[in-house]
Amino acid sequence: MRAGHGWWLLAPALLLLLAAFVLPVGLMVPTSVRPYVPLVGITGGFTARHYVRLLTDSYYLEIIGRTLALGLTVTCSTLGVGYPVAFFLARTRSRWRNWLTILVVFPLMLNLVVRTFGWIALLAQNGLVNQALQALGLVDGPVKLLFNFAGLLIGLTHIFLPFMVLVLIGAIQNIPRDVEDAARVLGASWGSAFLRVTLPLSAPGILSGSILVFVLSISALVTPRLLGGPTYQVMSTLIYDEFLQRLNWPAGSAQSLLLTVMVLLLIYLSGRLARRTGAHA
Amino acid sequence: MSGAAPALAVRRLRKAFGAVVAVDDVSLDAAPGEFLSLLGPSGCGKSTLLRMVAGLVEPDGGEIVLAGEDITRVAVHRRNLGLVFQSYALFPHMTVFENVAFGLRRRSVPPAELGPRVERMLELVRLGPLGTRHPRELSGGQQQRVALARALVTEPRVLLLDEPLSNLDALLREEMRVELKRLQERLGTTMIFVTHDQAEALILSDRVVVMEHGRVEQVGRPEEVYRRPATAFVARFLGRANFLAGTVAESRGTGTVVAVDGGRLSVVAGPRPGLTAGQPVHAVIRQEAIRLAAPGAAAGRPNHFTATVVFHAFAGQAHHYVVQLADGRELEIAAPGSTVPLARGAHTRIEWSPEDVILLPGGGPGQGASR
Repeated sequence: MRAGHGWWLLAPALLLLLAAFVLPVGLMVPTSVRPYVPLVGITGGFTARHYVRLLTDSYYLEIIGRTLALGLTVTCSTLGVGYPVAFFLARTRSRWRNWLTILVVFPLMLNLVVRTFGWIALLAQNGLVNQALQALGLVDGPVKLLFNFAGLLIGLTHIFLPFMVLVLIGAIQNIPRDVEDAARVLGASWGSAFLRVTLPLSAPGILSGSILVFVLSISALVTPRLLGGPTYQVMSTLIYDEFLQRLNWPAGSAQSLLLTVMVLLLIYLSGRLARRTGAHA
Repeated sequence: MSGAAPALAVRRLRKAFGAVVAVDDVSLDAAPGEFLSLLGPSGCGKSTLLRMVAGLVEPDGGEIVLAGEDITRVAVHRRNLGLVFQSYALFPHMTVFENVAFGLRRRSVPPAELGPRVERMLELVRLGPLGTRHPRELSGGQQQRVALARALVTEPRVLLLDEPLSNLDALLREEMRVELKRLQERLGTTMIFVTHDQAEALILSDRVVVMEHGRVEQVGRPEEVYRRPATAFVARFLGRANFLAGTVAESRGTGTVVAVDGGRLSVVAGPRPGLTAGQPVHAVIRQEAIRLAAPGAAAGRPNHFTATVVFHAFAGQAHHYVVQLADGRELEIAAPGSTVPLARGAHTRIEWSPEDVILLPGGGPGQGASR
């Protein structure tokens, strides 16, 4: 078989990508530079004001910053909660292992809207969490856990935890036990062996899991909409409103393109980082 | 091994995995500076034994004593042992230098001393200029040497080697054998070497421990376990041999006669006290102990038979034959490779010396030739 033949196998995926991603994004480029006149609609001509407003107006900058901060904290919290779980699942020889893995993946099998409404019930002013906190005497009045950063953080962490855990399990399982044992025999305590050998060797998994969760978090729509309400906006809900509420397609296109560029840039940078540090894996 | 306290002593060590007893009541001593091999087929418990000494597997019972100190309950990282893995288990994210330095850094060796010690060790295993490379950039033999250097640089009290040469190809393996042996002679480190390769064990070891089903079958110098195997298993495992089942016909101070096949074949062996006439016994003859004699050579000598060649193959150092005796019994023979080969179908005479016959009392398994 000639080397070139293999490329045909990519054709269906490439066609799908072209139709569902490249074309729509490409179509947004001209739209994003058209003037928009309220009550009239999109007019002819060229303007950069959608981009200028997006990058200078404090309202938009706050939303962009909030989106990035949310992505970062969701990534960190899924990593913090997920790594021990993944480590346990990758290493245990217990016969419960498969059941525990299913338990981790289980949230993925439930409808996203259902899961999110579950969180609303839990996090509301008089929801279960607040009742419990007050019953335990930890807080005086109800804590605001909905329609703010905390609510989005909790909801998104829950939804994206399985992705992080699944990626990390694979990475940790790839680390040969002998290598850790070698570190122990050479005089490293368990903690030292973990920090110097296991953790660095799972770095590729940490990186790809983090990218995945970060990208999913900053582009998530349903959960931020339901848990953030109509006023607590992130970029995805902003874009949604721009297109479907205000019908300002040019501004929505500019926002969409910015989000897309941010994601692509992140993937590019992480790829370079992986090549530099993770070439051993 | 009397006199000096053993560098390592294992007392009645036991380990079971579920219902499978991996190591069953094993006791061993290794003298300081000794090269001791644990030899046996896979699953005989030799690796589990080694990992218990290293501290990676917790024993169910028994004790491990390192230079007089009971280390059975001492944590892995405080045992100050070296361990070389079959997979080498190098740290892929560290350079060769950092791999070797790892153990020294855990012992807080000052930087002024660390660099020279690592360099000296790399020099010793002939990896001097490769310190800045990563393990993936090295050949299998070089990776093996890094693993050795990494284990030896901390000057471990005992170096444990778990089939370290098994992943190398044949030529490199022989080269590394010599290198390992010379390294051991130079450093004087006590080494416990686990292998399933009998040639490796015989060549390298001061003493060989033959294991099977979690038990020690025999401990002895290489010549002892090869020439005077204590059990049929040891005889089989340490090289190909012909097993002839029979009964003792005569046992005297001058020699023993074994009647094989109800006396149709009579095998003469050296004196062996403790055998009585009528006792079932196996006469074991190593394939290289059988000589091909020229046709017409003097008959009437002990262990002298006529035979027909039914198989011949040339293997460089030796000609391998299968010959058939008058009663249809087949024997395996290895003749020196420099001799003129006999063709298949050729008639010949074979003989072997009475002192080359190994006598193993008892019946049971052992028909024919096998490993």
